[in-house]
This record gives sequence, C-alpha cells and structure tokens, in this order.
Amino acid sequence: MEVTYKVHREDPENGGESSFSTYQVDLPEDATVLDGLQKIRDEQDDTLAFRASCCQGTCGECAVRINWRAQFTCTTKIADVTKKGPEILCAPVRNIPVIKDLVFDMDKFTWDKMAAMKPWMEPEDEFAPTENLIPESEMADVRKTMSCYQCGLCDEGCAVLPVDFDFLGPGAMVKGYRFVMDPRETGARKEERLAVVEQPKGLWDCVHCYEANGKCARGLEPSSKIMEMRDVSFKHGIKNEKVARHHNSFINSVKQTGWLDERKLVMETEGLTNIGGLMKLVPTAVRAMTRGKMPGRHEKRPGADQIKRIIEKAEESK
Amino acid sequence: MKYAFYPGCVAKGGCPELYTAAVKVAEKLDIELEEMSDVACTGAGCMPTHLSDPINARTFAKAEQMGLPIMTICSTCQGVFSQANHRLQDAEYREEINREYLAEEGLSYQGTTEVKHMLWVLFEDLGVDKLKSLIQRPLEGLKVSPFYGCFLRRPGPIMVPTKEVGGRRGYLEDLTQLLGAENVDISGKTKCCGFPVLTANEESSLGMVAKHAGESKQNGADCMVTPCPLCHLNLDGNQPRAESLKGEKINLPIIHLPQLLGLALGFDADEMQLGKHIVSTKAVNDKVDMLT
Repeated sequence: MEVTYKVHREDPENGGESSFSTYQVDLPEDATVLDGLQKIRDEQDDTLAFRASCCQGTCGECAVRINWRAQFTCTTKIADVTKKGPEILCAPVRNIPVIKDLVFDMDKFTWDKMAAMKPWMEPEDEFAPTENLIPESEMADVRKTMSCYQCGLCDEGCAVLPVDFDFLGPGAMVKGYRFVMDPRETGARKEERLAVVEQPKGLWDCVHCYEANGKCARGLEPSSKIMEMRDVSFKHGIKNEKVARHHNSFINSVKQTGWLDERKLVMETEGLTNIGGLMKLVPTAVRAMTRGKMPGRHEKRPGADQIKRIIEKAEESK
Repeated sequence: MKYAFYPGCVAKGGCPELYTAAVKVAEKLDIELEEMSDVACTGAGCMPTHLSDPINARTFAKAEQMGLPIMTICSTCQGVFSQANHRLQDAEYREEINREYLAEEGLSYQGTTEVKHMLWVLFEDLGVDKLKSLIQRPLEGLKVSPFYGCFLRRPGPIMVPTKEVGGRRGYLEDLTQLLGAENVDISGKTKCCGFPVLTANEESSLGMVAKHAGESKQNGADCMVTPCPLCHLNLDGNQPRAESLKGEKINLPIIHLPQLLGLALGFDADEMQLGKHIVSTKAVNDKVDMLT
C-alpha cells in the first residue's frame, strides 16, 4: 500500500522555522503509523526524530497528532487514517514544547508538573504497627488513576495551556487526584494534600471544559476528576481565598433569593474591604451601565424559602 | 410545541437582551413558553454537586408536574442540568434526593424530564423546514463565527448521547448557513471562552477572549454567535479589557443565538436589543440594514 507521509520537522536547538517533509512509503495493509515512521527513518531519512517504546499501546510514549487528531502511532493502523486519501500527516501534540520533529519535552509537560503534585504517600502514622487494610470500594477509583500512561494526550486538548503554559494541566491533576482520594492520608496530611492541588495554577485554574475527558487514552476522565476534587476541596474549606469568597457569595445568593445576584457576587469575590480590587471593577461597571446592562434590583424568587431549606440540609450532609 | 422555560440567572441579570430576544423569537416560531419562576439557579458548575443536585432535582420535578420538557437558553445551565439529570437517572440516588429534600414540599422526581437548549429545540423539535419557512430576511453577506464554548458539546457521552442527535456537533454552523449567513471558522470554536477562570486567573481568562475574538476578526468575521450568555459576558463584556491586556484592538461584536435568529426572522436591531452590548454591533446593524 503506497502512502504519503507529511511529517512536521522542527529543530529549535539549531534554529530555523518549522516545516513539513514529505515521504512516499510502501507498507503492508495492516501496518501502523509507527511502522511507516520507522521505515522512513531506516530507509530514507535518519534525521527524523520521533518517540516510541512498547509498540503495543501501553506506554503512551508515541503520542502524535495524526491527521490533526492526537493518537498513539503504534496502535493506529494506516488503513484507518487513509480512508479519505493516501496522505498521513504527523505533527507533534499541542501545548507542549517540541525538542525535535515529533518529540516533545516530557520534562516541561510531565515530570516538572507531576513533581509539583508531590507524588508520594505521606500517611499520618508512617509506622503503624499493623497492616493498613482499606476497603476495595475506597481504592477502586484511586487505583484506576494509577494506570495513567502520562502520555500527554489530556494536556494536548487543554483550553488553558495555550494561554498559560504554567497551568499544571489535567495530567498533573489526575496525579493529584490519586493522592487526594487516597484514604490512607488523613487529618492534617489531607489538608496539606489539598493545598498541593489547590496551589496557584492548579485546581482552580481549570475551566472545566471537559475536553480532557475525551482525550484520555485510558478513559480516566481527567476533567471529571478535577470536578470531584473541587467538591472535596469545598467540603474541607477552599484554600484559595478569592475562590472561596466567590463560592460563598454564590451559594449565599442562591440560598437567600433562589438565584444569583451577579452584582453582589462580583463585589464580594473581590472582597468588600479590598478597595483596589473594587476600583478595578469600575470601568466594566460604567460600560455596563451606559449600555443598560447593569442588573436591576435583585428580588427574592417565589420558592426561595424551599430552595434555602434544601441547600441548608444538603450542607449539613457533608 | 410548549416548554417549561428556564431562562437562567444571566438572561435575567447581566444579559437582559438575551431574555428579550429569546421570548420574541420563540413567539414568532410558535414555540409556547411557560416560564419557571419559582425554581433555583442551576449552580452553574460553581456549587458543588451535593448542593446543586437536590435543587436541580426540584426544578426537574416541577417541570414533570407541568408535564413539559424544559427549554434553556444558556449552555452553562444546559450543561449543569444535563449532567445532574444524568446522575438522577440512577433510581437509588434519585430516591434518596426525593426522600431527603423534595418530599417535605410534596415533590418527587421520577426521572422523566427532558432538558433541551433552544439550539437543539430548533433542529430536533421545530425542524429545519418550519424554520426555513419563517425566514424573512436571509442574512446574505453577513460573516459569522460560530462559538459553542464548552458545555453544549461536552462531556460527549452526556451532551451528545446518541447518533440520532449527533448533529448537535454542528447545529450552530448549520443554523448560520440556514439563515443565509456565511460561516467563518475558528480553531477554538468548541474551546472555553475563559469565563470560568475569571476569578482564579484573570489573565488566562482574558487571554482566551483575545485568542478567540482575535482569530475570528482576523479570519474576516463581522461577528461571533454564541448560545451561552456566560461566553457572551466574557467575549463581549471583557473584550475591552482583553484588548488592553494584549495591546491590540479587536472590536468584534458578539451576538446571542436568538438575536441572530431574530434578525433573520425580520426583527430589527432595536427589537433584538443589540444596543445593550459592550462591543458596538454597528458593523452588523449596517449589513443587516442593507438587506431590508
């Protein structure tokens, strides 16, 4: 089967613009995209850089955008990606700096950000005299996240990383989840763990767009894990002060009136004694007023008392 | 066609023009709306689920009593509702919520309420043929960038659960074309607008506004259309701040979905309250005026 590979070329260390190289390759019908890349390197161009390891879809080393969709080259059949034409485009995954061609910087993506999650267990009682038995039900989700390939596909789809590369990203957040949800860390240690995931550029910088859920090769639903951790953080007391003010104002507003008082939310989020923060709101408020967009008097809704009763009872349940 | 109408907090607060446009457009399309005025905010993804699921179950139970599906005009409301309704399909969980929270008010949710965004209602209930027959002013020459944002598309298994509704991945482009306008594609049309991170990281949030609106402008769009008022608050309301941050002028009008529809149905810019936007919609108004 004759196919055309169009492969991204880039060599930041030696400068120069990124470009695409084109190769004609003859491959068996059941070949993978990785087979083709290896054949190119063996027979046509030994300067082509790409990464691969297990060659059976279990290590996550070979993540590449194939025809703009991020996948593993070792498990993607050429027959499946050439249905619309004989061209196979290979480009590095997005949001992670490229070292060369299809090889991205795992230090910057994975290791630095994973390390920021302090990925080691710190139980309250490190030298317990007996076995620490944990019910299966409490470990099932945690164990599942341990199967993360750390391949980068979830970060590849992230909406925040293109505008803020320092965001820890869904990959590191899944690693955080593995420890936040581990029942062996308790008490003060659990609070320290939550502070780790709630650090600046962490849990609260996610926009919960659920893009990462659809990207994960292991089906770990990183976005949902982030939202679960937010619920845990809320129950323990949100550690980011501004975010905590925002949540408290939001909930109080719904409790008092049944719906959201946007004006109050904006001011209480900044902090009513934070004059600098409040002053920053003035230009936006003036623009809204001149356009007749400023919300009017915030009235209590019919049904608000029932809504308040329900929320207060739910708060007690935590 | 009748719906329990759930406008959401923002359409009754910071984006009053959305409420006005949606009500006018629905009337023109023979979509009867009975507004739900005694139900709670969805929680908007800001309230934790143990607080928001019970109040959303109450809203669904009320609609069930009315015997009507719910129509939303906000992607965020829709997303939170769809996810809550998905969890409430678990009979054991639903019964716990009924017993603990709803019984005292004499309510019980049976899990049957359907919740649909107006964009879905247009294609799945009203139908393309009916819609086409009501267009009075095809928006020829108007270049529009569809912007979905996050919640109408994801999580995929919940928002687009079956092949039958697979069209939801393209309704906004389909509608823009159906109304006679020209689609201007941008790479981030299904990405986040930045609103949810406005509190925790303002710079990141405004960066997303500049990225999406800037790309749309660069690709030649006259305006962007969005089915989500929170996207609108950020992309329109914070566009001047995003411009200051990036040091570049963007000046791209952001139009609510019902407003774009309304213009094609024959309403004028004043009736659709385009004057309430932060970024001037003059470029759009002028083009539409030339069509009449």
